[in-house]
Amino acid sequence: MTLVGRAALLLAFAAALYAVGAALWSRRKGRREFLVSAERGVWAVFATTTTAVGVMWWLLLSDRFDVADVAGYSNRTLGWRYKITALWGSQAGSLLLWMWLLSIVAVLVVVTNRRRNRDLMPVVVAVLMGVAAFFTSVLSFVTSPFATVSPVPADGRGLNPLLQNAYMESHPPMLYIGYVALSVPFAFAIAALVTRRLDSTWITSVRRWTILSWVFLTIGIVLGSRWAYEELGWGGYWAWDPVENAALMPWLVATAFLHSVMVQERRGMLRIWNMVLVILTFTLALFGTFLTRSGILSSVHAFGESTLGPYFLALIVVILAGSFALLFSRMSLLRSENSLESYISREAIFLYNNLLLVGLAFAVFWGTMFPVLSEAVRGDKITVGQGFFNQVAAPIGLALLFFTGVGPMIPWRKASPRELRRRFGGPLVVAVIAVIPAVYLAQDGAHWWAAAAIVLGAFTLACIASEFWRGIKVRHQLGGTSWPGALGQLFTRNRRRYGGYIVHVGVVSIIVAIACQGAFSSQGDLALRTGQSGEVSGYRFTNEGGTRAKDDHKMSVGVTLGVSEGGNRFTTLEPGVDVFLAQQQRSSEVAVDSSPLRDVYVVLVGLTPDGLARISVFINPMMMWIWIGGLIMVLGSVVAAWPSRRPREAVVPAPAGADGRVRE
Amino acid sequence: MAYVLIAILSVLVVAMVAWPLLGRAPEPSVAEQGDDRRAVEEELQRSLDAIREIEMDHRAGALSDEDFRALDADERARAVALMRRRDAQDDGAGQ
Repeated sequence: MTLVGRAALLLAFAAALYAVGAALWSRRKGRREFLVSAERGVWAVFATTTTAVGVMWWLLLSDRFDVADVAGYSNRTLGWRYKITALWGSQAGSLLLWMWLLSIVAVLVVVTNRRRNRDLMPVVVAVLMGVAAFFTSVLSFVTSPFATVSPVPADGRGLNPLLQNAYMESHPPMLYIGYVALSVPFAFAIAALVTRRLDSTWITSVRRWTILSWVFLTIGIVLGSRWAYEELGWGGYWAWDPVENAALMPWLVATAFLHSVMVQERRGMLRIWNMVLVILTFTLALFGTFLTRSGILSSVHAFGESTLGPYFLALIVVILAGSFALLFSRMSLLRSENSLESYISREAIFLYNNLLLVGLAFAVFWGTMFPVLSEAVRGDKITVGQGFFNQVAAPIGLALLFFTGVGPMIPWRKASPRELRRRFGGPLVVAVIAVIPAVYLAQDGAHWWAAAAIVLGAFTLACIASEFWRGIKVRHQLGGTSWPGALGQLFTRNRRRYGGYIVHVGVVSIIVAIACQGAFSSQGDLALRTGQSGEVSGYRFTNEGGTRAKDDHKMSVGVTLGVSEGGNRFTTLEPGVDVFLAQQQRSSEVAVDSSPLRDVYVVLVGLTPDGLARISVFINPMMMWIWIGGLIMVLGSVVAAWPSRRPREAVVPAPAGADGRVRE
Repeated sequence: MAYVLIAILSVLVVAMVAWPLLGRAPEPSVAEQGDDRRAVEEELQRSLDAIREIEMDHRAGALSDEDFRALDADERARAVALMRRRDAQDDGAGQ
């Protein structure tokens, strides 16, 4: 079967190359049948890649240890679910997953554009299949998932225990879907540049794909954080690890694009900037893949040393050079239709928000790459610590929080001071009230940025609430509908705007929770014999006995802890440690008691045969709101991206003052 | 067995991409010809959305009467221009 897998990948490579050639030929010669043939080539790439994935799963499920990736990432005792997920445990397997998702995305693009964007489709197909040709060539000639080993081992090494986790089953595919979906906006942007069709057509086609990608990147990042929190056992959820940063950078730039594209749609501005953002977002997605695979930076998430780095670097350089050369050649066609009339207008706020997001992405890039750059320049690999990232991210995060509240409240073009006073009166009162608990929590300025996050969070929530309230009031007065009906109408009539506000609620939740967790978390270590108690940050832990268990797969130890606060026992926690026999690797099973105000997070460091349990306790405030915030963001973006029914009635053109109202 | 599967897969791939080239060249569909019109239509819809949003913002007190008049007039002028472009395309297609 390995032969079938290899042949399928070679056929996919050939079909991708053919699709590129046929698509470009159809554009050059105006031969429509070649475009249809190229689109069938996309289907062929999907069929052959699906075959390769199917073969790989069959090899994993049937314990074919003559295949290097099966021997290296699976074993006989591994459950079938983890055998399926072992596909993306290996370097080559994860590239195969990337390629498979790309083929699915390309097929969806072909299907949804059968009757539209026909001028753009030859270039769109050529770009998508060009990327597919790169991945299939790497999988065929550089690192094959179907490589065999000799002699054949009796059993495999098994999947890394850290990856044997429900979050790890879904985190990589979510991130990969996010990365891969970014290739669609990129392909449409290049097609618009090549064909000189730089009107709003390409924007319309890519906006939904960008939201889709953004949603999956958000889910992937949140799941990855949750995995780090529960599985790595260090009490935190984000360590500014290079691979975490690799996912964050395209997310930040895609967020900037989703805002600035509105400026282009409404005001015909930022057209060059939007092109730059689309190119950068896709390049950063590839850069993330390069970081994970090149071995240039060490990370808990990265694959080991490999020879793939130069290939990815070459692809990134070609894409950047080609895209920007094309962009420069079309500069004259991308002039803005309007100019900025006021620094206090919605488009100006979106511009500030863009600069902050891209600035943060650049800072993250700089911090991530600094060890490599310092080694290249000075010969020393200087690692940038979390402190650098936190120092940069905290003020930018606060500024973004401020603009999240302010942006939607300010009209397009300009805002008069009188209107500003009227609009921001309520939210400012809320912010002033929030200053009282914030100052109390700030503890003489030691945690000023957490206090600022609370005040700005309250201000932003008040802005969002006021936007909803004004909208509901107008709808209620206009249509004579009930108050809940008016709320429903807001979403049905303008999903994008109000879905966006829901996303902003999630952003507030996450930024405030991150600030509070960073400022007010506490930690303590205890060594408790059976029956003994100890206290950390007002919480009392009592060792109620240890447990030990062993099966074919792993050896587990655990301790039962009674937890009380102020004399009231409120939960029992059972932290443990698993030692996976095949890999001789230990994995912490942390125990967490979550509530809206704080997490009590306990790690078992060790358990001696005489029952002495060494535990680390972390009290993490507001943690739950990070996960809830992520959920709200995903929900809001689904609302924003959900297709809405277009009203069929046209505008009645009328001079100002006459009744020229648009019917709905 | 493996060689049979590879042969089937190869034939399938070749058949898939070659089929459109062997048949009669497909005529461009009406929908395909309508890409320009769709672009104008979509831009017009966005303009109509913008007019609605400006009106909502005015009613909600987010825009002064003066700002509303200026923004509304500009957006309506844009919508009218787009409608004229669309009508011209329809006239062109009808001739």
